[in-house]
Amino acid sequence: MKRALSHPHMLLALRLVIGGLFVYAGGLKFLHPVAFADSIATYQLLPEALLHPVALLLPPLEIIAGAMLISGYRKRLATFTLVLLCLVFLVALGQGWARGLEIDCGCFGSESSSEQAALWAIGRDILFLLGLGWLYWKFLPPTPAASHA
Amino acid sequence: MKAPARLQTALTEDLAGLWLLLTATVVLAFTANLLRDEPVSLTYQSKEQRLAGSVATLQEDLSLSVSQGSTPLPEALDLEAFRQFVQAGQGLILDARPAIFHQLGHVPGARSLPRDDFENAYRLLRANLDQNKSQPLVIYCSSASCEDSHLVADALRDLGFSNVTIFTGGWAAWTRAGLPEESDS
Repeated sequence: MKRALSHPHMLLALRLVIGGLFVYAGGLKFLHPVAFADSIATYQLLPEALLHPVALLLPPLEIIAGAMLISGYRKRLATFTLVLLCLVFLVALGQGWARGLEIDCGCFGSESSSEQAALWAIGRDILFLLGLGWLYWKFLPPTPAASHA
Repeated sequence: MKAPARLQTALTEDLAGLWLLLTATVVLAFTANLLRDEPVSLTYQSKEQRLAGSVATLQEDLSLSVSQGSTPLPEALDLEAFRQFVQAGQGLILDARPAIFHQLGHVPGARSLPRDDFENAYRLLRANLDQNKSQPLVIYCSSASCEDSHLVADALRDLGFSNVTIFTGGWAAWTRAGLPEESDS
């Protein structure tokens, strides 16, 4: 299992799928920043003054980090950035769910705001985190022995 | 180098890289915003506030028209009542969902009056709407849980329309019942 997951093709597939999803999700939100700000507002986490700045900033960050992961340019930095983003999303979704808020995930544009949708988004986020965590581990600098090989 | 040390080195490097990436993203994001057709202001307004702004602008710009009497509609229509309303064709059906969803499929005869582009869409529909402010208007959005139909109905009442109601089930109930659809494509 570990060998299969470490296969270069598997790592490439993970990069393409996760990177692609972030570019797609970021693109949708980049096109509709005001609707994204409405989604962020449903989390009741940020003051109003920060809703538009965050709605303008997050989508390009997802697009850039996703594109870096796909292209392989500074792929470890891209993975690190996406891990942090996923952790932020997980905390935001988790607190909204725990408080019983009707959150509109906003992850892939405007979605439904049911409890089931929030749980699905949390599950999806955990899957991304597992994939990204594995990639980050594989992108760590090589041991000296490996680097001289 | 052992794994924890490799991890620590990588995290230190990536944290430094992240600041650079964030700075570049801030510059890019705000430059891209300035290049939009309508740059997004940094001040957030809720859906209700934005709609109220559109209503106020429309009230200022447009002159009031004369109302004519018609049978008042109930506060909300269920699927059967709405189906009969559609068949009778004695009023306007308005789709409060974003325009793209309306183009993909809507209730036959419905016109697009999206909550998220209310002001522009209202101006396009003015000829049909303003001729009679008491004509029956039924608004729907995506499902029973969406709020756009309520917001648009309130906005229309604020503009002086007296016979406005909502089809509660929305597009989801209409399609689930297998009733006819129309699309703009």
